[in-house]
Amino acid sequence: MLNFIIRKILMLIPMLIAISFLIFLGVDLMPGDAVDFMIPPDALSSVDPVKLEALREELGLNDPFFVRYVKWLGNIVQGDFGYSLQSGVPVAELVASKLPATLELSIAALIISTLFGSLLGVVSALKKGTLVDNALTVFGMIGVAIPQFLFGLIMIMVFVFKFQWFPVGGRMTPGSEFFFMRLDYLVLPALTLGLSLTAGVMRYSRSSMLDSLNKDYIKTARSKGLPEWRVNLVHGLRVAMTPVAVLIGFRLPMLIGGAVVIEQVFQWPGVGQMFVMAVRSQNTPVVMMVAFFSVLIVLVSSILVDVVTALLDPRVKLS
Amino acid sequence: MHMQETVLKVDNLHVNFYTNQRCNKALRGISFELKKGRTLCMVGESGCGKSVTANAIMQLLPDLSRIEEGSITYWKEGEKISLGELKKNGPEIRALRGEEIAMIFQDPMTALNPVFSVGFQMNEMLMNHSSMSKKEATKKSISLLTDMGVPAPEQRVFEYPHQYSGGMRQRAMIAMAMACEPKVLIADEPTTALDVTIQAQIFELMNTLKREKDMAMMLITHDMGVVAEMADDVAVMYMGLIIESGTATQVLGNPTHPYTSALLESIPMLGKGKNQKLEPIKGTTPDPYNRPPGCQFAPRCKHADEKCHTHMPPEFFTKEAHMVRCFKYEELNHER
Amino acid sequence: MSSQALQKKMDDLLYKEDHGLLKENTTSRTLRKILANKLAIAGFVVFVLMIIMCAIAPLLTKYGPNAIDLRNRLSSPSKAHIMGTDQIGRDIWTRILYGGRISIFIGLGSALGAALIGVSLGTYAGYRRGMLDSIVMKVSEIMMSFPQIILVSILVTILGQSLWNLLLIFILTGWPSMYRMARSQMLSIREQEYIQALQAFGIKGHIIAFKHMLPNAIGPIFVNITLSTAMFILQEASLSFLGLGVPLETATWGNILNVAQDLNILREAWWVWLPVGLVITLFVMAVNFIGDGLRDAADPTQVG
Repeated sequence: MLNFIIRKILMLIPMLIAISFLIFLGVDLMPGDAVDFMIPPDALSSVDPVKLEALREELGLNDPFFVRYVKWLGNIVQGDFGYSLQSGVPVAELVASKLPATLELSIAALIISTLFGSLLGVVSALKKGTLVDNALTVFGMIGVAIPQFLFGLIMIMVFVFKFQWFPVGGRMTPGSEFFFMRLDYLVLPALTLGLSLTAGVMRYSRSSMLDSLNKDYIKTARSKGLPEWRVNLVHGLRVAMTPVAVLIGFRLPMLIGGAVVIEQVFQWPGVGQMFVMAVRSQNTPVVMMVAFFSVLIVLVSSILVDVVTALLDPRVKLS
Repeated sequence: MHMQETVLKVDNLHVNFYTNQRCNKALRGISFELKKGRTLCMVGESGCGKSVTANAIMQLLPDLSRIEEGSITYWKEGEKISLGELKKNGPEIRALRGEEIAMIFQDPMTALNPVFSVGFQMNEMLMNHSSMSKKEATKKSISLLTDMGVPAPEQRVFEYPHQYSGGMRQRAMIAMAMACEPKVLIADEPTTALDVTIQAQIFELMNTLKREKDMAMMLITHDMGVVAEMADDVAVMYMGLIIESGTATQVLGNPTHPYTSALLESIPMLGKGKNQKLEPIKGTTPDPYNRPPGCQFAPRCKHADEKCHTHMPPEFFTKEAHMVRCFKYEELNHER
Repeated sequence: MSSQALQKKMDDLLYKEDHGLLKENTTSRTLRKILANKLAIAGFVVFVLMIIMCAIAPLLTKYGPNAIDLRNRLSSPSKAHIMGTDQIGRDIWTRILYGGRISIFIGLGSALGAALIGVSLGTYAGYRRGMLDSIVMKVSEIMMSFPQIILVSILVTILGQSLWNLLLIFILTGWPSMYRMARSQMLSIREQEYIQALQAFGIKGHIIAFKHMLPNAIGPIFVNITLSTAMFILQEASLSFLGLGVPLETATWGNILNVAQDLNILREAWWVWLPVGLVITLFVMAVNFIGDGLRDAADPTQVG
């Protein structure tokens, strides 16, 4: 197992380099550069263009592409992701400060989706054809069709404005940093972010469970005189879990993408919100780093999916 | 002749399937008995209803089907239990499953759960019907595997089904079925998925068990060769009906129903040599939704007359309790 | 179904069967399945209806999508404006109709464009294997490791915001998954014997791939196109909500929702954003139903 993980990580490296190249290329093509940001727009006219050029030379902004790329790559390996064009703060620091918020949100959404989705999906399968099943199916259909941010907006309208159960946005108020005290800020964003994943997991675990319950080993289990709950929940469920785990692994990138939008809706101070602002203001270093890290997370999660699959299904050979 | 004790009796069983918005009458009134220490072979083509019968006995029929008429009776230490009336998957039938009546299936690869070890699945059977602890159950499982001829059982018990070979898997299934020493073993085409050489071993194993435990065995097969080897009693099925039944000597030595004779003439039997004359049975089995009104075999039968085409023959019995569902049974029977 | 209801249904079928009321149906099984799938039909009807309504927009409203009327800002639904007006007085109903044209165009167009590229590549590369396949595969892997929205945001900033740019970007980011799907279909069809027979006859590679293999994979491909359409419409909505999609002057469903970022409008003027949101949801659901229906119809293993 350990060998497998190490090998997979090693295989990642050429991928990461290729991707870093693409990111660097892409962001390099974005209009504007460091010097443009150092000068406020209204002062631009009074600055000597020759001096600007000299500055560019000095900062190495006119060096050939590959030189700049390699320099950038070298910096990254040392943990230096450059400085935010907006605030001058090292990007790494910025991201590190915002990361916990996004992680909190994403992990909460992931847990909610996995638990609720699987639970509801299994219930749906066991009660196939009943009112419960049909109602859940309808819920699932709406859940995958509704734009996530719209759901968030509706949640805000109902639970924040109408019922006033939850605060309107943000992550906490000063003085209540303790996790359980600020749970009410987390509830709506996490539920919203997890919505489409929950619906997807629910649908998939329902069909996976139905598939499993149709198999021959279910009949064998009954023929041994086992009680129904054991037939369904030990034999049926256990086999149904593997495809669902794989699905969740594949949908993790969506969770990251979703965070970008949801953080905006709820004014959640995370990396996603930072990314949107950076894109709007063409804050290249920030955009680059966030893009790079999001890809890293996606690649790591694909390795995780392989590991989890191997753990869940003894037939899978890690080769 | 020593008194043969009946442990399971099926009487006039009718089972209907309701899939695809149609009604398929899979079993149309079959009756037979399973006796202690004797093997009954149910033989017939695919689709004749052999597996349905087995599932009906175990009350494992699929959701979209039901027993319409008839009874299944099991004798547990003198006490009569009507299986058809027990609550579906209720505590009574579950107490019987595995402990009194056990079943083994055609394909052990799909019949065993791939994500649990063989030992786990065997322990389940043991722990469900007794108060054994996991440790005790594992010990017993290992000894069962040894009895069934699985090599290195102490390791094998922790392995998964996909790590076993085909023959070993079936032995493990048999071990699991025999774990609680059932009085009745139902085997649904247990060797169809295995090589012929393994087949012989498995049957030898089953015979030994039958003798040692004085078990009643119901063996479902489509292979007349298997019948010749294993059967004490035979029941030939066609289109949801038993058209001939009796002891193996009676049915194989004196096949009376035209279908039985045709079956025996159409397949090669090991040991009869290479100059066997093979006669395929003319025609095809009728569409289950479009059955002939009278005897189901009439359209393909060379002896059939007007009455055969319009009336369903009842069960006729010869003096020796050899049952034939054919109006012409007296002419066709050559009993001494 | 409860067991009593089940018993009754069975008794019913038994009676009908005994009285010869159930006969074999001769109409094509696929057609029967599609027709039996009421959701798919409903979805299709809604889908077509909405497209028609957007297409004939001028007939359904007298306002222009960008007609500003500052005296009637943020007025709630009334006789003059059935869905009210937005913050600069534009009629919402009109904007939904005209916006639908753009959003549906982007959704369908991107899905078809991505399919064109992805399926062509997948069919040929999947059949040929070799260098081409490995390279395209690697490229698709790299592109698929980016969360869509991040990749799209970067591309939007590089290329600039415009309708055609967005279409291009969606196609660019959408073809890899179509490619993978078409390719995996090809790989399994490839193993079939009739392909070997065609090769033995000396028929050219691309003819085998496109004329003989592709038609067999068409089912899942169509399903994928419908589901991609839904996905792209949702993506456009998200991007426009963030202000990164089509420029705000043009009405699209997502753009109309952009104003909902303002909490005041969110609270006080529900008609500005809620109806559009529901329209998007409805359209996406309709498309999903069609996709599900196609998938069920093409699946031979379903039993009733």
